[in-house]
Amino acid sequence: MRYFTKQQGQKEAVPVDLEALGGDRYKLTVNGVTYQVDALALEHGTMSMLVDGQSYSAEFEESGDEVGVLLRGQVSRFDVADERRLRLRAGTAAFSVEGKQLVTAPMPGKVVKVLVKVGDEVKEGQGLVVVEAMKMENELKSPKAGKVTELFAKEGTTVENNAKLVIVE
Amino acid sequence: MPKIRKVLVANRGEIAIRVMRTCKELGIATVAVYSEADRSALHVRTADQAFFVGPPPSRESYLVQQRILDAAKAAGADAIHPGYGFLSENASFVRACEAAGITFIGPPAAAMDAMGEKTRARANMIKVGVPVVPGTTEPIATEAEAREYAQKIGFPIMLKAAGGGGGKGMRRVEGMGDFESAWRSAKSEALNSFGNDAVYIEKYLEKPHHVEIQVFADTHGNVIHLNERECSAQRRHQKVVEETPSPILTPELRAQMGEVAVKAAKAVNYVGAGTVEFLVDVHRNFYFLEMNTRLQVEHPVTEWVTGLDLVALQIKVAEGEKLPLLEAPTPRGHSIEVRVYAEDPSRNFMPSPGKITYLRVPGGPNVRDDSGVFPGYTVPNFYDPMISKLSVWAPTRREAIARAQRALSEYVVKGITTNIRYLKAILAHPEFVEGDYDTGFLGREHTTLQGVEDPKLSEMALLASAVYAHQRDAKRARTMPGGKAGAADASSGRISPWRLALRSRRR
Repeated sequence: MRYFTKQQGQKEAVPVDLEALGGDRYKLTVNGVTYQVDALALEHGTMSMLVDGQSYSAEFEESGDEVGVLLRGQVSRFDVADERRLRLRAGTAAFSVEGKQLVTAPMPGKVVKVLVKVGDEVKEGQGLVVVEAMKMENELKSPKAGKVTELFAKEGTTVENNAKLVIVE
Repeated sequence: MPKIRKVLVANRGEIAIRVMRTCKELGIATVAVYSEADRSALHVRTADQAFFVGPPPSRESYLVQQRILDAAKAAGADAIHPGYGFLSENASFVRACEAAGITFIGPPAAAMDAMGEKTRARANMIKVGVPVVPGTTEPIATEAEAREYAQKIGFPIMLKAAGGGGGKGMRRVEGMGDFESAWRSAKSEALNSFGNDAVYIEKYLEKPHHVEIQVFADTHGNVIHLNERECSAQRRHQKVVEETPSPILTPELRAQMGEVAVKAAKAVNYVGAGTVEFLVDVHRNFYFLEMNTRLQVEHPVTEWVTGLDLVALQIKVAEGEKLPLLEAPTPRGHSIEVRVYAEDPSRNFMPSPGKITYLRVPGGPNVRDDSGVFPGYTVPNFYDPMISKLSVWAPTRREAIARAQRALSEYVVKGITTNIRYLKAILAHPEFVEGDYDTGFLGREHTTLQGVEDPKLSEMALLASAVYAHQRDAKRARTMPGGKAGAADASSGRISPWRLALRSRRR
């Protein structure tokens, strides 16, 4: 069975051929190298993986389409899909980031200050909204030079993660 | 003074639990207070009694003096331990405790007054001959005035909240260009954190080290110091890693700074645990920065090398006992503390509140984890993002670094993002290992500290992710209608295929 693994920050997905050998054993081929892997899944997203006598403890955490893997102190994030799912995804590719830019709350918190109003011309990097979470104030900056066309943020209101705050066009 | 039998801890999170642990060991009953956001917090369950004090924002709960005092009276507590932050450095609260006949475990109000406001503390220190960093002796009224003064002493300068501490309401300003935004944010943060927007200016020293001296005083006039802590690994003026002994201090400099710190404490008739913070410049001159009139977050490293329990000592002093030692102990071995924060270093240290789905803390010899969280706990977004302090001890600094690395590699937190990897990168950085790192270290090395990937580990992680996806998909196929095992399940009549379909769609 073939999987495509795209690591966060990389452009290309890497194909991995997986053959289940029964029990916890697998044969995996990646970049022309074949590994015999003993992968024992444990509770809470923990996996004990033995490869060529090396012992790895892997911790998994899913967020959206990605799975984060903690292994010997290093965290890597992968988007893994089999061929069928990859075809499904091709139809819903992400939009281009030109034109309208939506600024959202990067964490749940409270809007303590709105620094712009609709119609304002803003420079790239100019502060738009100040959101406070855990006693720290974070100034959210404009991703581009342009005009504020919509403003959802209101001072004093609490916002959820990813809440719409401002649109710059 | 009578023995303390019941202590109300006017705080939350790890420090509330830290204090309660010592109380339990001393046979003292404990009382917690909690806000609406903290009903499920660990300190509530750790205490013998718990009282509700109001809505989530601390201004409406943990900072409301009357609510805390009412809880203390209702519980029959004879003392209040304030922890750090919140009401710990609030002289009016100390007076209110006094009026209510409840022992405040901390310094007298007069000592807090003398040290609490930073500008007043500077004036008091100048009076007794303690060296201070050049700057204004009074808060500055207007931005125009502030600009003028900054121009006069020259950039870079620091804007600091007069009523503050703990790195809040503090901004380094490089020049006129970023003056306005720094002024605005320093004032607003000062107002939000301390209820006082007064700000003053200090000259920013080049490559300074932040070295602080722990002091302790009893009610019989004995004042000692318990050596130093090096706290130069700071980000946005928040300490991230602390250690003792400081790698840059000679025994002579330690003795000198200790002596000055004791002098500073004596000048204000100090009682209890306090910390005198100094900046040490490249020529190893030291300047008084401020005095924290409370227990510090990083007190465990001092406990490791002195063998003392500082909370127990605070309680003894509050009961009127004499200090058990009358001079600074020689530090034994080396200790390092790292602060585990719920924040994402790769997204500009954005706070990352949320539910901790899984937690495994390190163990093994000479490792201590002071935490306030548990698996299944949702870290609320109203309070400080620190979730735990990990500290270690070893005979030498080199071994202590290795031990801290080992302990961090055992730390697993799932559900929220933490800075654990960033902490490992700090400990591995040559500048840290070498020992002469100043307060600009973390900012300067920001990119390096984001970590370099080991391609071999990435490949192993890739293999793991493929197996993980395979096992996950196989499991899903078994529970989905149409899947072989799923169909068998459905035909057994236990769960209708419709319901199963709905369930899988909700994912």
